[in-house]
Amino acid sequence: MTSNGKPLLEVDGLVMRYQTKRGQVSAIEDVTFTLHHGESLGLVGESGCGKTSVAMSLMGLAADNARYMSGEIRLEGENLLALNEDEMRRRRWKSISMVFQGAMNSWNPVYRVGDQIREAMDLHIQPKLSEAAAKSRMARLFEMVGLNPSMLVRFPHEFSGGMRQRAVIAMALSCDPKLIIADEPTTALDVIVQDQILKELKKIQDQLGMALIYISHDIAVIAEVTDTIGVMYAGKLVEYGSTLEVFHRPRHPYAYLLLSSTPSITGPRRKLAPLEGEPPNLLDPPPGCRFHPRCPFVTDQCRTEDPPFVDIAPGHKVACWNWQQVPVTIGASA
Amino acid sequence: MTDTLAPPSPGVEATLADPLWRVRLRLMRRSLKLNWKLFSANRIGLIGLSIIAIFAAMAIAHPILMATQWSAQIYHPVTGYDAPAVEKLVVEDVTDPLTEIDISTARIQLNPFIDLGDTVSIRSQPAPPTFTGPTPHYLGTDPLGRDVLSQLLYSTRAAFSLGVIAAVVTVFIATAVGSASAYFGGWIDTLLMRFADLILLVPLLPVLIVVSALFNISLPLLGLVIGILSGFGGTAIILKSQALQVKVKPFIDAARIAGGGHVHLIFRHIIPNVLPLSFLYMMFTVTDAISLEATLSFLGLLSIPMSWGIMINVASTQGYLLSGTDYWWLLIPAGLAVSMLAASFFLVGRALDEVVNPRLRHR
Amino acid sequence: MTMPLLKVDSLTKLFPVQRGLFRKPIEFVHAVDGISFEIGSGQSLGLVGESGCGKSTTGRMLTRLMDATSGQILLADNGNPVDVAHITRDGMRTFRRRVQMIFQDPYESMNPRRTIFDTVAEPLTVQGIGTVTEREEKVADLLRLVGLSPPETFLFRYPHELSGGQRQRIAIARALVINPSFVVADEPTSMLDVSIRISIMDLMLKLGDEFDVSYLYITHDLAVARYMCDRIAVMYLGKIVELAESEELLSNPLHPYTKALLSAVPVPDPSFKRAPVEIKGGIGKAINPPPLCRFIERCPIATDVCHNNDHPPLEDKGGGHYVACYLV
Repeated sequence: MTSNGKPLLEVDGLVMRYQTKRGQVSAIEDVTFTLHHGESLGLVGESGCGKTSVAMSLMGLAADNARYMSGEIRLEGENLLALNEDEMRRRRWKSISMVFQGAMNSWNPVYRVGDQIREAMDLHIQPKLSEAAAKSRMARLFEMVGLNPSMLVRFPHEFSGGMRQRAVIAMALSCDPKLIIADEPTTALDVIVQDQILKELKKIQDQLGMALIYISHDIAVIAEVTDTIGVMYAGKLVEYGSTLEVFHRPRHPYAYLLLSSTPSITGPRRKLAPLEGEPPNLLDPPPGCRFHPRCPFVTDQCRTEDPPFVDIAPGHKVACWNWQQVPVTIGASA
Repeated sequence: MTDTLAPPSPGVEATLADPLWRVRLRLMRRSLKLNWKLFSANRIGLIGLSIIAIFAAMAIAHPILMATQWSAQIYHPVTGYDAPAVEKLVVEDVTDPLTEIDISTARIQLNPFIDLGDTVSIRSQPAPPTFTGPTPHYLGTDPLGRDVLSQLLYSTRAAFSLGVIAAVVTVFIATAVGSASAYFGGWIDTLLMRFADLILLVPLLPVLIVVSALFNISLPLLGLVIGILSGFGGTAIILKSQALQVKVKPFIDAARIAGGGHVHLIFRHIIPNVLPLSFLYMMFTVTDAISLEATLSFLGLLSIPMSWGIMINVASTQGYLLSGTDYWWLLIPAGLAVSMLAASFFLVGRALDEVVNPRLRHR
Repeated sequence: MTMPLLKVDSLTKLFPVQRGLFRKPIEFVHAVDGISFEIGSGQSLGLVGESGCGKSTTGRMLTRLMDATSGQILLADNGNPVDVAHITRDGMRTFRRRVQMIFQDPYESMNPRRTIFDTVAEPLTVQGIGTVTEREEKVADLLRLVGLSPPETFLFRYPHELSGGQRQRIAIARALVINPSFVVADEPTSMLDVSIRISIMDLMLKLGDEFDVSYLYITHDLAVARYMCDRIAVMYLGKIVELAESEELLSNPLHPYTKALLSAVPVPDPSFKRAPVEIKGGIGKAINPPPLCRFIERCPIATDVCHNNDHPPLEDKGGGHYVACYLV
């Protein structure tokens, strides 16, 4: 998707650490990316790689012990980190909204689903919509996510898991956000339901022209829904580029190994290349490149010097000293 | 309610050459050390523990003092007697009861020919604290001329032993009942839980009053009764809910697939995961037991020679209960001891709660 | 024909739906409804389906964590079939040596208060196999085999000190420590990070060969089942609807549900265009189901045959490719 004019979202050199009793956890380390109106970005990585921390920072919902050391998050040029809680609350849902992991379990069981969506709209849409306008808007939202508007007067327990998640998406859309963040929205769902929800999400994004940040550990899902992809490892963005480019010619060893170690139902049955070792402890990240202890292409330079995040092709960035060593074909040949 | 119990301390490295029991000993030492570290990080717990230590020292001090310093005739908490003679001025209106005596009282009690302005020598019981003389009474004497400090120290032992008996019985019963009820379910669960409901339904204090009125209740027996009532009642229900959470964990299934029978599952898997919570409630039982004992002996329903409750009871029956400010040494030491010891176990329990329940811990 | 290692015949599990306090249950969830399959020695079968299809219940019945309502589970013992569903007390002891299980959640499947040694040695200890020293050696051997070396660093640690991947290796060691011939693995990698899954799966494959173990591999992920298993059975609402060699099933799915399931799986290739999924709605619950094909409500190709007949039998359509559908 092409874009013109000013970017919607710029994350610039963001560094965030969690203050804990045992020391600082370096959760986000120098993350930079840009998102234009209508674009979709996938953030992929293992648990603890910082992808959810990025999402929470964008929403201004990071945990109390989070400290921003440097960097900016600019939404249409305005630095969100400089806003106070009140100003941030006004932008949440209206400018940026989010579908949380397991959000389908966040419905309050004693209120009707429609009333809960209505409440979010009343809080954020100024001036308040009239009764009729709100009703027709909610009906439209429900249709958009593939639910029957008659379900609006039902209670959450009358919905199946997939339907509840659709309703969450409807709620996230209710205030016409410019950016929607979806954090593992389908992880707890079965594949057929997941497929339906991914399709709805893509359709809605095209229709409304909003930007989407899709967070998942499942690169196959990311491949389906996003134009651009950012691969995160241990708090750092290690590769960033168009989804096609990154999937077909990953240049960072981690991205390469992640793709090589993902079983697929298509293509020839092949031996997968295991990724040895485990992600580092972020209380005490390794010196140099954070991936070097697990990297098959490691050199002495990697052990001491942190590789810069550089353009290796237009719009394709990699943080690796030896990106040229990474094989071109995916597979266990490494 | 705790849903996750604190994991034990880090394990140790051991070579295969080390005998297993020695490794286990090391593991145990390590776990004690870590739990102590967690516990001692909590100031409340340390305060509670220091108070308990002071009382323990008091309990130990009594027999030593009796053997070395104090003669039984004067200082024995029950049979001792020492009433110092005090010179008192005979006046019309008493302003200071320690140095003055009402003329009409003096005429009735001592000598009908006494006049205003005379000084009379009376044996004072109760007597305020004295620090000098051959037989000092640092906390004074009671209305029967017995040393209050000696009574206070002597009673500490009784309070401790009562608390320990009640707590051990509670933990034993509650853990067994809770685990069995959760593990077996079905009619065993129904039976035990209905019994628990019954005990919860019955008001503890009135029942104890009736029981002690009917039977001759000694201290160990009282500990047993409190232990049984609290062990079958609330504590059992709390531990059952904990055991239920443990029972549905996959590691129970894993142990069944390994071939473990009921005994193995209950003793190796369920009880070890319930026990930390048991210890927590053990502390609260001690608190309850100490307060209950004080209440019962204040009401004069226990057949024990001396206790803090009895000290207050004596002050009360002799008519000093409402003049506590004048005769403070009859009420304050015993009352304070009951409250402090009960509170200290409660504080330790609170601190243990943080060790046992990691969600309460500070980040 | 010789007896395969495991033969399951018309295995059924009904759960009563409680209605009222004292009334007898009149409705039952047909969690597993008359399924039959075989697993040969050293073979592995993948049991695939959406949540609530009965795959985990099947695993729990095969390990006797749960009693079957009806049906047979025959486990070959020196070539003689032993009915596991109606086993004696003595038979249970042998059974526990021969069938083990690996669980989904590496954090909950180990007692947090027992050391790794106690956890791995548990099957040996409770069954009284070997002396303490022998057990220690056996456990150390197993730890080395699952890649936790040197074993001394792990033996007397507690589960919470290990990562998820390491714990799942411990779980594998525990399952294999008494040399079982059959292991039920219930989603053993679904809670692990992507980068760790493959090494755990590879380890299971390698040790499966070494110990000559047959696996029943329960998973919701067809790609994982393909990687791990010789054959795959697809379950839907308590019934096996299709069972075939893994590659055959993926390249030539015959049942409409399998087709839908296959086309719904996202593919890690942005240029790959999947076939559209033709079924609608979500999976329901089989409470006293009518005597019809279980899939009929969501089936895109159902005809009169389906509406007038009972659930179709699982039939061999050639080359060991079993399908339960009238229209194939």
